[in-house]
Amino acid sequence: MKEFKYLSPESVEDAISLYGQHSETSKFVAGGTDVIVKLKEGWMEPDFLISLKKIKELSDLHKNEATKELSIGALVTHATLEKSLMIQNRYPIIYDAVSNIGSLQVRNVGTIGGNLINAVPSADGAVPMIALDGVALLHGPDGERSVEVKDLFIKPYVTVLKPGEILKKITIPPQEANTGSAYIKFGRRAAMELPLIGIGVLLTLDTDQKTCTKARIVLGVAAPTPMRAFEAEKSLVGQKINEEILVKAGQIAADESKVRDSVRGKAWHRKEMIKVHVRRMGLKCLDIIKKQS
Amino acid sequence: MDNIEVTPNQDRELSVVGKPIPKLDAAQKAMGRAEYIQDIKLPGMLYGKILYSKFANANIVKIDTSKAKALAGVHAVLTGEDVPKKMKMGFIKDNPPIKKGRVSSFRDEVAAVAAISLDIAKKALDLIEIEYEELEGIFDPEKAMEKDSPLVHEHLKSNVLKMPWNIHYGDVEKAEKESAFVVEDKFTTTWVTHCCMGTSGAIALFDAADNLTIYSNTQIPSLAQKDFLESLKAMGLENKRARVIKPIIGGGFGSKLDTYAYEHIAILLAHKCKKPVKIMFDRVEEFNATSTRQPTVIYIKQGCDKNGRLTFRDMRMVLDNGAHTSWGATTPSVMLMPISSLYKVENVKYNAKCVYTNNTYSQAMRGYGNPQATFAIESSMDILAEKAGMDRIEFRKINKNQSGDETPQGLKITSCGLEECIDAVKEELKFDNNSEKGVGTGIASLIHVGGGARIYGSDGCGAILKMDDYGKVDIFTGGTDMGQGLDNITAQIVAEELGLLAEDINVVHSDTDVCPWDVGAHASRSTFVAGNAALGAAKKVKKKIQEFASKILDVPAKDIKFKDRNVFFPGDPEKSMPIGKLLRKAHFSPNGTMLMAENFYDPDNRNMGKDLKGNMSMTYSFGAHGVKVKVDEETGKVEVLEYVAAHDVGRAINPLLLEGQVYGGVVMGLGYALTEEVVHQNGKNMNANFRDYKLFTAKDAVKIKAPVIETIDKDGPFGAKGIGEPGCVPTAPAVANAIYDAVGVRIKDLPITPEKVLAALKEKKGD
Repeated sequence: MKEFKYLSPESVEDAISLYGQHSETSKFVAGGTDVIVKLKEGWMEPDFLISLKKIKELSDLHKNEATKELSIGALVTHATLEKSLMIQNRYPIIYDAVSNIGSLQVRNVGTIGGNLINAVPSADGAVPMIALDGVALLHGPDGERSVEVKDLFIKPYVTVLKPGEILKKITIPPQEANTGSAYIKFGRRAAMELPLIGIGVLLTLDTDQKTCTKARIVLGVAAPTPMRAFEAEKSLVGQKINEEILVKAGQIAADESKVRDSVRGKAWHRKEMIKVHVRRMGLKCLDIIKKQS
Repeated sequence: MDNIEVTPNQDRELSVVGKPIPKLDAAQKAMGRAEYIQDIKLPGMLYGKILYSKFANANIVKIDTSKAKALAGVHAVLTGEDVPKKMKMGFIKDNPPIKKGRVSSFRDEVAAVAAISLDIAKKALDLIEIEYEELEGIFDPEKAMEKDSPLVHEHLKSNVLKMPWNIHYGDVEKAEKESAFVVEDKFTTTWVTHCCMGTSGAIALFDAADNLTIYSNTQIPSLAQKDFLESLKAMGLENKRARVIKPIIGGGFGSKLDTYAYEHIAILLAHKCKKPVKIMFDRVEEFNATSTRQPTVIYIKQGCDKNGRLTFRDMRMVLDNGAHTSWGATTPSVMLMPISSLYKVENVKYNAKCVYTNNTYSQAMRGYGNPQATFAIESSMDILAEKAGMDRIEFRKINKNQSGDETPQGLKITSCGLEECIDAVKEELKFDNNSEKGVGTGIASLIHVGGGARIYGSDGCGAILKMDDYGKVDIFTGGTDMGQGLDNITAQIVAEELGLLAEDINVVHSDTDVCPWDVGAHASRSTFVAGNAALGAAKKVKKKIQEFASKILDVPAKDIKFKDRNVFFPGDPEKSMPIGKLLRKAHFSPNGTMLMAENFYDPDNRNMGKDLKGNMSMTYSFGAHGVKVKVDEETGKVEVLEYVAAHDVGRAINPLLLEGQVYGGVVMGLGYALTEEVVHQNGKNMNANFRDYKLFTAKDAVKIKAPVIETIDKDGPFGAKGIGEPGCVPTAPAVANAIYDAVGVRIKDLPITPEKVLAALKEKKGD
């Protein structure tokens, strides 16, 4: 491993400024569960490693009682999300996703922001943020800008972030009544596992508790970046949701996906898993909505 | 050797043997104080690193090491040209530690460096320039057997190894004709690897007279010493000494049963540099450059009569040998045991061909071929039972092994608790109570060597026992503890015999300068063979103490008993003395004596003859595993709900360690059954990391019940038999049988992935 200087600024401005001083040879690091591996393997060889850990505002997790917006700081760890009762009760799709990342040790240090910015197709954390219409707030040398999480990714390991830009937080707009959400990581083992395919579903029903007013179907590992299955979503909106309709949506989502064969799993099986789990997660959403009322 | 009776009084009350004493080095390991090879640093030590081939099959056209040699901090760069001609590894010596002219697999070593730091050593590897001429590789062993196949080693004229694996006991053709029911199937198993927590490594150093000391992660200190001496001889260093020290190792499981290139390269580098050289594998190297379990293609046919008695078993196998030969090629010798002797079957045919390919080469791994063979046999047993319309448990009991049997291979079954194991599994797992959809149960049995295994000319182990002035014992054993608990077993046996506590016994092992000879920790032999060696030594010392105490206490020697650190004459409280006091008297008396003994125990088992017959072990361990699974019929995912692993262990010297062996074996077996696979594509390892190599995690491990059946073997130390390997032997077929019971699909290819199960379910439904 190449030697580097470790810097730990205490404000976003300082972090950006430090980056500016050594822009070609600097890297930001959050929890380090991906960066440290890359350093050790020599895939990343910065002269300066700028840790964001000491920037307090980045670890803020709260719900604005006035706007009902949820604000998740980029440095909030998976474990913090996993243990939050608010997340468990109001945002089950986030809980489903983060509570099965890596191991307890990984979740204690790994952060939601790092999970997004690492930009792998298998990022468990990306699926719920997209399903919940999350908006990423970026801060760079030219100031702040917002990007929808679904538009954050360009290709594996590449995001829309410009050099020196930091992901500060993800804002989740207020959740409508009668909304349920769920995620499943389909893998081979119970821990230390990347999804062979990740499936997140969010459904909002009308006051009749039957007609779908909003649907999100988000897939991980189904394409080079986490993707929304727009056609499958469309097939649900305006419909009275039942198992049969979810089965069809699952098929549409599977057809929309761009899954491929890899050493880890075969495309046909991944498609099957999308089909099956869109239905299962959809039913879970209905269950959650039922329990809420 | 003195005539020492090694059979203990089986009825006597035991105070140390049979007790669940935690592993003696547990605290040391838990507190981070255990010294692994990773921790050892010697003065002036250099770091070695190996460069591997970029191709599965290629000619080396040119190697230029000049830039690497010129790098500051580099002490030596070696290529195949620097390896003495006769320096070769493996039991047929077909594998030089660095290849010259031709590489035949991705793990073939092409160069090595020694430098003052690991970083410099790695940089030096990057500076070595090699020009290859890539050749067509051969990766399918069955294709490699075809006449026009390219050859892995041209001078051998064939890819098929000259190995004797061909037997026919009885008359299989006749028996088949007379059978009421016959089934025939093909099974396949793939590469899996040991996944030792501690990666491989060695440190070699020479003294000024060219004597070698090598610290190495090995399971075979004495046999490794032989290999290293041969290397020294090849280097022109005749009549030198080789001291092998095995530090505490993080797991063996068979992986360290041969010597590897990294050890011989460390020797070459240390000699060239005149400094200690350490080579440590990183995890990727551990996956890529250590040897796997032998992959197999298995054809099995077996039959029974109308009463369910097995009539014949006919098996044929093709084993992927990889590009070089290690013990993997001899696994058919152990496969032969379940094939000929798991259940009573008189007519047996077996043929195995080991075939060179450009894949990685295989080695010993827990069970040594038995898991592969048992996967086919026990899957086929269920298929046959169904065809014959018989209950699968009843079918097994009809054909059970029993005490007094002599199997077609000539195995003499002495103690045998197979039926008790099957009953215990049946009792714990309610077999007929599977009304829930997708839930099913499966059972599979095992036989394994439990009383040593005569693979070499000797199956012996030495022990030296000495007592100090205070009643403490140092026992120097040939046996090797690699985490399996030989230290405890030895201490408990010796303490029991001498009326001491386990903590009074210091077990010294794994240093060839200090410890007596042994053939290594393999074949589940340590408890039985090293245990008997230690017991014999303890008995000899006991006799000496009795003779000495007889003079002091003035009672007949034979009546002196040992208990709670005292020697005493039963019935007379005056005639008693702490053992330490007695020992001091022995040392401080005029014409004093030293209370110590050596003992060499070589079991009365037999090498296989040319006909591949012979009672290879003094006794055999048996077991039955039962599992309840739930299959998700939409995803193909298999969940293990309950697991019962019953074993006939002779006697549990330490029930805690015994359960640990069973749990570990079962989890390893479940990985073999369901998730583990080294994925090779055209010879290249595609998943050399724990992310993609699906070793079970703690969260995947299931609760395992481990009923212990004690049959008190007449030849075992205190009646014990070996139990190191059995835990992972019948796991895969038990799981496969349970899946069939649950959803009616039979998976014949390991591992049983969700993809395979779902594909089979779809095929069954006609989708």
